[in-house]
Amino acid sequence: MNMKDYSNGVHPTWCPGCGDFSVLRSIQLAAAHLEIPREKMAVVSGIGCSGRISGYMNTYGFHSVHGRSLPVAQSVKLSNKDLTVVAAGGDGDAYAIGMSHTLHAIRRNVNITYLVMNNQVYGLTKGHTSPVSQVGLKTKSAPEGAQDTPVHPGLLALGAGASFYAQGFSAEQEELVELIKAGIDHKGFSLINIFSPCITYNKTNTYDWFRKHLVTCEQAGHDDPENLTSALSVLQETQGLMRGIIFRKTGEPTFEENHHLANNPPMIEVPLEPTAEKFQRWTARFRLDG
Amino acid sequence: MSWKRTILIGGIQGEGVASTGINLMKALSGIGYYTYGERKFSSRIKGGNTHIMITISDEPVTCVTSNINIIMAFDHETIDENRHLLSEDGLMLADEKLGMEDAAIVSLPLTKLAKEHGSPLMKNTCAIGFLGKMLDIDRGVLEESIKRSYQRKGEKVVNENMLVLHGAYTTQVEKLEGRKGIPVLSQSKQEVMMLMGNDAIALGALMAGCRFVAAYPITPASDIMEIMSRVLPDEEGLMIQAEDEIAAVTMCIGASYAGVRSMTATSGPGLTLMMEGLGLAGMTETPLVVVDAQRSGPSTGMPTRNEQSDLAALYHAGHGEFPMIILSPSTIEECYELTIDAFNLAEEYQCPVILLSDFNLSLSPQTIEAIRYRQPDINRGVIAVEKDLMEDNEDAFERYALTETGISPRVFPGTKGGIHKVTGLEHTVTGRPSDRKGNRAKMMNKRNRKFASLQDQNSLSVEEREGKILCLTFGSNWGVLKTTVKDFGLKVDIAHIARIKPLPVDQLKKLFSRYSKIVIMEQNQRGQLAGIIKQELGFHDKIISLTKYDGEAFRTKDVAAQLERWCNE
Ligand SMILES: Cc1ncc(C[n+]2csc(CCOP(=O)(O)OP(=O)(O)O)c2C)c(N)n1
Ligand code: SF4
Repeated sequence: MNMKDYSNGVHPTWCPGCGDFSVLRSIQLAAAHLEIPREKMAVVSGIGCSGRISGYMNTYGFHSVHGRSLPVAQSVKLSNKDLTVVAAGGDGDAYAIGMSHTLHAIRRNVNITYLVMNNQVYGLTKGHTSPVSQVGLKTKSAPEGAQDTPVHPGLLALGAGASFYAQGFSAEQEELVELIKAGIDHKGFSLINIFSPCITYNKTNTYDWFRKHLVTCEQAGHDDPENLTSALSVLQETQGLMRGIIFRKTGEPTFEENHHLANNPPMIEVPLEPTAEKFQRWTARFRLDG
Repeated sequence: MSWKRTILIGGIQGEGVASTGINLMKALSGIGYYTYGERKFSSRIKGGNTHIMITISDEPVTCVTSNINIIMAFDHETIDENRHLLSEDGLMLADEKLGMEDAAIVSLPLTKLAKEHGSPLMKNTCAIGFLGKMLDIDRGVLEESIKRSYQRKGEKVVNENMLVLHGAYTTQVEKLEGRKGIPVLSQSKQEVMMLMGNDAIALGALMAGCRFVAAYPITPASDIMEIMSRVLPDEEGLMIQAEDEIAAVTMCIGASYAGVRSMTATSGPGLTLMMEGLGLAGMTETPLVVVDAQRSGPSTGMPTRNEQSDLAALYHAGHGEFPMIILSPSTIEECYELTIDAFNLAEEYQCPVILLSDFNLSLSPQTIEAIRYRQPDINRGVIAVEKDLMEDNEDAFERYALTETGISPRVFPGTKGGIHKVTGLEHTVTGRPSDRKGNRAKMMNKRNRKFASLQDQNSLSVEEREGKILCLTFGSNWGVLKTTVKDFGLKVDIAHIARIKPLPVDQLKKLFSRYSKIVIMEQNQRGQLAGIIKQELGFHDKIISLTKYDGEAFRTKDVAAQLERWCNE
């Protein structure tokens, strides 16, 4: 299998040069490297320029509503554990309208991967402020520049107990492919915050700006992704401007394990027809004959 | 001649008043009586007055009576709030501890006996003892019932409760001497169950093969998620408590898309949040079952009071236009059966199905003839088979194929040859976004024609009583209406509607044409069902609304007075 096998040939609606192209290629490459059968993969996305990504994969795809990729993605996985489920969407999706789902998905630790295609603006609505827009960024909805403290995805994720947190950059595709593979391989919820520049509406946080500001974990002196204290401090020191696997905790029980689903057959294979014996059991509380 | 007795047990919330009543109901049901319990409580945990009103009969009971025969009070408020409802030969009993100096009230040593033999909390058992003795119930029956409910708390607690019960049975109360109990039953005992609407819905869902429930707690729907959280793990299923109702409904959509029968349950405030999900399910043609146990609105409204005012919003749910089904059970039995139907319809028509309940239907325990095991018909609708699948396993499966029925084969992720796209955007046959006008019209028409075959399915139940006028209702009102016409001997035909959307227009037209007047009885201010019916089929000059919106269920004597007036007009 190669990258092409995972493309359905639909031409993306993205602006030429948009960071999202590289994210798409990276998922396709990761799937090819991991040899995931096409029909065993489901990509669930939200709404935004980024949300279109599920529509370009030659796999099952569900383009949900703004901010809701995670509720769909989690339940798809819980319904059929044989699937590889990847959720994806923009920073508006993840940190504004869907913020609560993001936090709770982290807490639950369902075995899926979430790719946040972070361009620090709302692309699809043509350049509005996002919760991760940096202070001072002038947008259509903040002509004087954004004023509110930006959300810090890394600290937020680690604070919520993330078992896997990584950051990537569209211009570092090879690394991004490895991050996505590691995320998919991770047993539990993996969140990958990807700096994916919007070349049309964010003239500040450009490819060059990221090249200049992003450091690798190594450069930041963070050599052990299992070390939470170190992860937290480098995220603070770099103000989140770093890439690589920032935190990974292996052996953390997944939602599936905590809820006794891990050893069950995939839920879709459970027979529906109730037996008389089950009926007796379910109605025991209501019967009054003794 | 059939008879009824109504007992109201009231006290401070959090002191076991409801369970006292329910234990009494269970004991009575176990020996062949029929009971119905209406609960009143406030949205706080401890403190505040609460009561349960229980009507007992030798025949099935579907609502409480308008008057009360016995009030058993653990607090002053119970007497103050309800004494005006007492029947002429009615009796007011109160815990001696309250020090009520009213000659009309009989004081009983409830707390005193409880303390003597166990702990003050056992005053509930003590009350059951006095009531049991007054009703002429064999003590052994109550002993069994109390044993069963306190078993989990250990032998000591059970034994103390037995002593309290014994104490109540052997205490002589002068003012109660010579009163008659409830009539001895003449017919043989049926096999019965006692359950409330929420229990029946949960049972129906289990029987229908529901294995995934995502929900957010809310009165009066929470029991459903609670039951499912106990049962589903043993069935290799899952109840997940979502972070909000938006997540709950969207998770159900995801599970259903993946091939698992799923359901969520909520009430008005949650339903408002679920509108987004209803639209997504409608547009993506994903089966979805949502229980809406209505309570009084708008906003947080009166969380523990009855109302049927979500209907209008639901009938017109969501932005945009999409097909949706609204089923409305009116009895416990229908809660069970229509829940099974809801799962089948959702998959057959690939659309959201709302199961519309209300506070009183969801939360009133009732003795019913036992539901018997029958393998339900499970209809999963059109699912792609081998020959429909793509040989090359490319992303080209026509999930939204334009068929004559408007229903296209579903395929679940994981299936080879079924790869396709799903999107909330308008889309082509393979699920790719498209805003071309030709495609749009075709897709709108496809979704719109799905219900052609549903239209004819019978969804009205009519009881003829030589009436010149008809009274139509839905939900818990049905139990009140049925009792009203019977108890007051009214010549009024009565009906209830089990499917409000799509409205059974032809069936209603045919029925309505036989009457000069049609009374539509509903618990909301604006006559929402009447409005929908007028909008869909006219009859403006025949339709009269009978509404109530003070939070309390309709009472038979008020309904009788209104219907009599309209009969004579
Ligand atoms: C409930 C709702 N509110 C608003 C919108 C309009 N809307 C579409 S995408 C979007 C934000 C897009 O920003 P982001 O999630 O960062 O994705 P990007 O387009 O930048 O990839 C908004 C506000 C919507 N589709 N749904
Ligand atoms: S507007 Fe920005 S985010 Fe959207 S496609 Fe263009 S470059 Fe990408």
